[in-house]
Amino acid sequence: MEKQEILNMEYAIETFSLTKVFADWWGRNRVCAVEDLSLKIRYNEIFGLLGPNGSGKTTTIKILLSLLHPTKGRSVVLGGNATDPKISARIGFLPEESYLYRYLSARETLEFYGRLFKLPSKVRKMRIESLLDMVGLKAVANRAVGTFSKGMARRIGLAQALINDPDLLILDEPTTGLDPIGTRQIKDLIIELAKRGKTILLCSHLLADVEDVCDRIAILYGGKIQSEGKVKELLQRSDKTQITTGHISDMAVERIKQIVSSEQADCVVTSPMDKLETFFIRIVAAAQQQSQPTSGAVSTTQIGNFLTAGESILDKLVSAGGEQSRTANPIEQKLSAQTDTQPAHKGPVAADKEYQTKPDEQLLSKLTEQPKPVATEPVVTDKNAKAQQLETETDEKEQTSKSILDGLTEDGM
Amino acid sequence: MHSIWAVALNTIRQALRMKIAAVFIVLLVVLLPVMGVSMTGDGTIKGRLQTFISYGFSLTSLLLCLLTIITSVYSVTNDIKQMQIYTVITKPIRRFQFLLGKLLGVLLLNVVLLAMFSAVIYTIVIFTPRYFKTDIAETTRLKNEFFTARATVIPAEEDVSKEVEKEYAKLKKDGQLPPDVLASKSANDKYMVWLTNQKKLEKRAAAVGHEIIWKFSDVRASEPNQSLFIRFKYDVSVNPPDSLVYGRWFAGDDRQLPYDIYAFDRKDTIRTFYEIEIPGDAVAKDGYLAVGFLNVPLNNTVVIFPPGDGLELLYKIGTFNGNFFRSVLLLLCRLIFLACLGILASTFLSFPVAILLCLVVFFIASISGFVAESFDFFGEGAGIIYNYTAVPVVMLLPQFDKLNPVDYLVPARILDWSLVAEVFGIMVCIKALLLLAIALLIFSRKEIAKITI
Repeated sequence: MEKQEILNMEYAIETFSLTKVFADWWGRNRVCAVEDLSLKIRYNEIFGLLGPNGSGKTTTIKILLSLLHPTKGRSVVLGGNATDPKISARIGFLPEESYLYRYLSARETLEFYGRLFKLPSKVRKMRIESLLDMVGLKAVANRAVGTFSKGMARRIGLAQALINDPDLLILDEPTTGLDPIGTRQIKDLIIELAKRGKTILLCSHLLADVEDVCDRIAILYGGKIQSEGKVKELLQRSDKTQITTGHISDMAVERIKQIVSSEQADCVVTSPMDKLETFFIRIVAAAQQQSQPTSGAVSTTQIGNFLTAGESILDKLVSAGGEQSRTANPIEQKLSAQTDTQPAHKGPVAADKEYQTKPDEQLLSKLTEQPKPVATEPVVTDKNAKAQQLETETDEKEQTSKSILDGLTEDGM
Repeated sequence: MHSIWAVALNTIRQALRMKIAAVFIVLLVVLLPVMGVSMTGDGTIKGRLQTFISYGFSLTSLLLCLLTIITSVYSVTNDIKQMQIYTVITKPIRRFQFLLGKLLGVLLLNVVLLAMFSAVIYTIVIFTPRYFKTDIAETTRLKNEFFTARATVIPAEEDVSKEVEKEYAKLKKDGQLPPDVLASKSANDKYMVWLTNQKKLEKRAAAVGHEIIWKFSDVRASEPNQSLFIRFKYDVSVNPPDSLVYGRWFAGDDRQLPYDIYAFDRKDTIRTFYEIEIPGDAVAKDGYLAVGFLNVPLNNTVVIFPPGDGLELLYKIGTFNGNFFRSVLLLLCRLIFLACLGILASTFLSFPVAILLCLVVFFIASISGFVAESFDFFGEGAGIIYNYTAVPVVMLLPQFDKLNPVDYLVPARILDWSLVAEVFGIMVCIKALLLLAIALLIFSRKEIAKITI
C-alpha cells in the first residue's frame, strides 16, 4: 500500500504488464490486443501513444478507463482506479469518435456532462459558456448535435472532456475530422493545458500532431511497445548539421560550400518552403478578419478561464504576450513549451518561469496578418536532407531564435 | 442522486425527442375518445361504460407496457451500441447509478403518461351518462352497479368428502367400481378425485323442479338498507330452444318461521351474467342471508352454476373513485416490473433480442393462468431437475391476467388495498427488485466497451 502511494506521487498513469486477449465466445480466434504493456506517464507530461491501426492504442485507453477488463496485469490512474468517482472526477476523456446524444443541443450536451460531475449550477453555466466560446460553437449552441459535421462534433467532444477542469486528459485521436485550424487549435490547447499543470495522454497515428506537442512518445505495434522515449532524443540526428541564415550573397554561399567541402562533407543550398498548414491558417485568418459568413465552426483562440492549475498562469501569459501582438493567443504561447522537452517535474511554478522565455516573433507574425516573404533566405543544409521541407513549426522557431540549428528534424516515418 | 437525476432526465428527453413516446401518445389520444363514442356494448349506458372501461383500460395497459419495454431497452442498448456510454460511464458516476437513472427516467415518463391517460378514461366515463341524459331508473342502476365498489362473496363450497366416501362404499359393495381402480393405488386416487368433482358439480346443479340454496353469513354493507346484488350465470345440460332459462329466486332469512323472504321470477339467457337486486332488509341483523334458486318445471334441462363466478353476492363497501385509483396502481405495478425486466435484458442482450425476450415474458404473463396450468400438468410426470429449474422461472413470471383491473372495474367489484399491497409486494418488491439486482450485478461486471481491434 505504501509502495503504491510512492508510485502515485510520481506517475499519473502506470501500467504493470497489461495484457488484453480477445477471444470469441467459444474461446477461439484469440487475438492479443495488448501484450505485457508497462507504461509510466509522469504528472504534467504530454505523452503520445503512437501506432498503426489495430496496434492496441485504443484498447490500452479503454483498459485505463475500465471500459475493458485486462486479461492480465493492472493499471493505476491518478493513484487509483478509474471507476472510483473521486478519480474519474479528475479525468477528461475524448473517445476516438465523439459519441454524442444526437437529440441534445450542444449546450444541453455540456449541461448533461456538467451534471454528471455534480458541478453547481452557477459554475456549470459559466464553464459551458466559456467552453462553447473556446471551441467556437457558441453560434450553434442550440442546434441538435446530430446535425453537426464531424469536426463540430469533435469540438463538442473536446469541450465535454474539459468541463471538469481535469488533471488528466486522455485524448484518443483528437484531431480526426478537424480542419487544419481546428487541428492547430487543439494542438495549441494541449500545450497550453500542459503548461497549466495537466497531464495529457494523446493517442494518434497522425505523426505530425504527436511530434508537435508530445514530450514523450511510445510506439505500439502488435500490442507491444516497440520504442519509447523523449521526442527530441528519438528524432535528433547527430550526424547532420543544418545552418539557417538571412539572405546572403552567392559569393558567401560559394565560400560556405568551400568550407564544407574542406571538412570532407557535401552540402545542398535551398530556400526553405513555408508549411502548407501555416499558409492555410494565414489565408483563413485573413478571411475571418473580413468577417465572411460561415455556418460552420468559428475559430477562436480563447481558452476557458476556468481551466487552471491552481494559480492563474493565464493572466501572466496574456499580459506577457500582449507586448508582442494583439493576438496574444495560445498559438503563440505554445512556442515556449516546445523548446522544453523535459517537463517531467515542472509544476505550475516551472511553467511560469518557462514562459518568461520570449515568445517567438517570427511564428507570431506568420500567424497573424503580416505575411512573411516566403523563401527569401537561403538555407544551407547537408546533402540528402530533402525532407527538411517537412520540418515542423518547432524547427522554424528554433531556426530563428538560435539562427544555427544543430538538430535537423526529419520525417523519417 | 445528482448524477442519477441527470441520466433520468436525459432518458426522458431521449424517449420524447426520438419520438418513441410520441407514437404511443398519439395512438392513445386518438383511440381513447374514439372508443368512448363508438363502443355501445349491449345498448344500455351501463353496457357502454363497461365496454369502454374494459377496452380503454386494456388498450392503455397494452400500449404503456409496450412503451415501457421499448424505452427501457432502447435507452440502455442504444447508449451501449452508439457508444455514448463511453463518455458517460467514465465520468464520476457509478454503474449502478447509471442503470438506476435509466430506470427512474423510464418510470417517470410512464407515471406521467399513465396519469394522463387514466385521467382521459376517467373523464370520458364520468361524462358519458351526462351526455346521454339518462333517466332516473338508469342513473340509479349505474350508481348501484357501475359507479360503486362492491364486496364479492362467493358461497363456500360444501364439504362433500362424506358423501364421496358413502358413494364409494356403495359402489364397492355393488361391485360397480371399474376393475383397474381396485388394482392400483394411483388409479384409485384418480377415481376419487373424479368422484369428488362429480359430487361438487351436483351441488351446483339443479334438476327440473329442484332448488339450490346458498347460505351467506357476515354480510355487512357499508350503509344500512342498501341494496345487495346476486350476480349469476346459467349453464345448462341441454340447450333450450330459445336459450332462455326460467327461474324463481328467493332471498332472505330461512332459519325460522315465519320466513321473511323476497321472491323474484325471471327468465334469462344462458351463459350471460345477470344481476338481481335484493332489498337491504333481506339480510338478517346478524348478517345472515340465504339465496335460493328453483329450477321451475317450465325448463326442460338441468341448470348448472359454473364454478368460480357462477354465483356471487355483491354489496357496496367502497367508491368507484377509490377503485379506479387502485386499478391505476395495479397497472403501475406492471409497468415497474416491465421496466426492471427491460433494464435487465438490455444489460446483456442487444436491442432486438432484448425486446423479443421482454415481449415473450409480457405475453406469457398475460396468459399466466394457462401457462401455469400447462406447467402443472407437465410437472406431474417430471422429475427433480424440472422442479428446480423450470418451476422457479415460472414462479418468477408475474401474473398480469390474474390481477386484471378490468375484472374489478367492469362488475364494480371492490379492489382491496390489501390486494394492491399484495401485488405491489410480490410483483414490485420481490420480483422486480430481484430482476434489478441481477441487472446491476451483470452491469457492474460487464465490459462496457465493444471489442474492436
